[in-house]
Amino acid sequence: MHIIVCAKQIQNPEIATSVFRVDEQTNKIIPVAGMPLVMSPFDEQCMEAALRIREKLGEVKITIISLGPKSTKDVIKHGLSMGADEGVILDEEGLEGGDGYTTALMLSEAIKKLGEYDLILTGRQAADWDAGLVGPGLSEMLGVPAITFAKNVQVEGRRVKVVRVVEDGFETVEAVLPAIVTISNELGEARKPNLRETMKAARKPTKNMTAADLGLDASRLGAAGARRVLEKLYIPTKDGKCDFVQGGSPEELAANLVRKLQEAKLI
Amino acid sequence: MARPELEGEWIQGWPDRARARLMPSKDAEGRTIYARTPLTELEGLITPTDAYYIIAQLNMPDPIHPDDYSFKITGLVDREVTLTVKDLMKLPTRTVRAVTECAGDDGEFFNWQKKGGAKPSRLKKQAESGGWNQMVVEGQKPSVDELLNTIPTTCLVSGGEWTGVSLRDVLKLVGVKPSATTVHTIGFDTGRPDPTAQYLSAGRTDIEVVDPGVINYDKALELSKAMDPDTLLCWAQNGEFLQHVHGAPLRMVVPGYSGNWWVKWIDTIELLDYEPECYYQTQYFVLADTPEAPRKPCKELGTKSIILFPLDEDSPLPQGEHVIRGLAWSGKGAITRMEVSTDDGKTWNDAFVEQHHDKWLWRRWSYVWKAAKPGKYSLKARATDEAGRVQPQQPWNFQQKHFDGIIPVDIEIK
Repeated sequence: MHIIVCAKQIQNPEIATSVFRVDEQTNKIIPVAGMPLVMSPFDEQCMEAALRIREKLGEVKITIISLGPKSTKDVIKHGLSMGADEGVILDEEGLEGGDGYTTALMLSEAIKKLGEYDLILTGRQAADWDAGLVGPGLSEMLGVPAITFAKNVQVEGRRVKVVRVVEDGFETVEAVLPAIVTISNELGEARKPNLRETMKAARKPTKNMTAADLGLDASRLGAAGARRVLEKLYIPTKDGKCDFVQGGSPEELAANLVRKLQEAKLI
Repeated sequence: MARPELEGEWIQGWPDRARARLMPSKDAEGRTIYARTPLTELEGLITPTDAYYIIAQLNMPDPIHPDDYSFKITGLVDREVTLTVKDLMKLPTRTVRAVTECAGDDGEFFNWQKKGGAKPSRLKKQAESGGWNQMVVEGQKPSVDELLNTIPTTCLVSGGEWTGVSLRDVLKLVGVKPSATTVHTIGFDTGRPDPTAQYLSAGRTDIEVVDPGVINYDKALELSKAMDPDTLLCWAQNGEFLQHVHGAPLRMVVPGYSGNWWVKWIDTIELLDYEPECYYQTQYFVLADTPEAPRKPCKELGTKSIILFPLDEDSPLPQGEHVIRGLAWSGKGAITRMEVSTDDGKTWNDAFVEQHHDKWLWRRWSYVWKAAKPGKYSLKARATDEAGRVQPQQPWNFQQKHFDGIIPVDIEIK
């Protein structure tokens, strides 16, 4: 069985909001000096899901693939240290400014080149732009079913059984393999790389692919190929207003609170 | 709770053991405001700065650029002055290697000794979000049991190398008037003391907690300790300039005294002929049997050793030789003797104590235990310091400060 995990390198979402900056002229995020980039946490959970499947089934090859700049090799190394068997780096140099569509396009062409696969795992969304397009985009481009927002993924024979998160609970969905599943944070915490696997990772194979290797014209990728039009990138200002509810007794306080909420049309 | 598997990390481009990381609590902006040292993952005597425990009683202040920083020395001095770190660098520098221990380190063992229950663990991590003093809505009383279960007090101790100048040299420079008895140091960190700390320390909420309003952190050190050449004004830790969370640009280092004396972010040093009512000296960080009893401030640490291997969590162990290892330190200087018991304190054996020249720094000790027979063993360790004090020194006190008791490690040999 072959599982492909798609991962993205992002700015650490744990950084203090006070140091997060964007360049409103160029509509770009300004990297925070000294803060290493990390694998998007949803993608770490994809690795976790893949490793859980391997622990259950035994013979499972896991490929981790990522599109990005040179620093993306660190995300690949992280995935290999968690337990992936091979890494694929899609070189984004000169193709920056893409969107979910261009990312899905390049990933899909690369996945076709990787040969047979059974399951593709992506995060429910990248933890930077939160678009959530790459998984469904891959589904469209590869012509395989996609199940989104998974909290549990089980492979039974040639079927994948997914418990997915919906607004008011969970639902269980099955699909025939090959399939794409996007992983949600409800899957649970991803494991930390252990020392033994990290040492093995140094010897695991990693491939590099460019747009030319995939037969893709640069005009279809990056900013040139993006279908999303980014009009404005800015940090919203938060105007907090605190209104203390008055009342002489708990009952009066509750009644006054209800009235305020009704006036604000919140209930 | 077993020890976690050895983690891996990429360091300098090579796969390596993951470095020891702090066990942190963070505020809403992801900034560390409280952190415990992963003692069981460390070797050696100097705790790396990134693994050094962090506590601020009040709010962490805004950082100050070193070029914009100065502090004042006022009060009973011949010349009131404003100094910069560059001014201090003109004086003879002094480096002291010393243990910093929070007064509340291991405090929960007091309750465990008294009341039993689950033994506190050095492996337990606390919740990362929300600081220890931000978990209870202002004006409400916390559930102490819930807090104690959420906020471990173990691992609030580290060993560091501190570089600066002797406070004594600075005081000589400004001239201390003969009537002065006290060095009152005021930090530029401010806030309203959170009563949670008091409830948590006392293990009860039915005590009266004084609300002083918004205050600066301050401590009033007796002149004799201030004139000890090892009491420093420091701008560097472990070979690099202080980190903000450790008191940059300038902090006090008071070897032998618990961490609350090591005033961070120094704004003013004031010489007085009386002891001011510092909140963190008269209301908190005090020793007394009960909240109502007369109090005295926590000062010198006791005589203390901890066993870092094995832990209860390492049980069972196979028959054979095992090295019982740990650290020992004292508030009165060097550790001179370590003893280990493998029979619950009935008999004691001398352990090896690693020698070095830094009396305020902890010492590593070890004892080779030949565990020949299967069974259950209670391992204990006790330290003796150069003043002849034998562990333990500090009896139970209601704020559970300066714990230096002997905690057995329960191991089964199979």
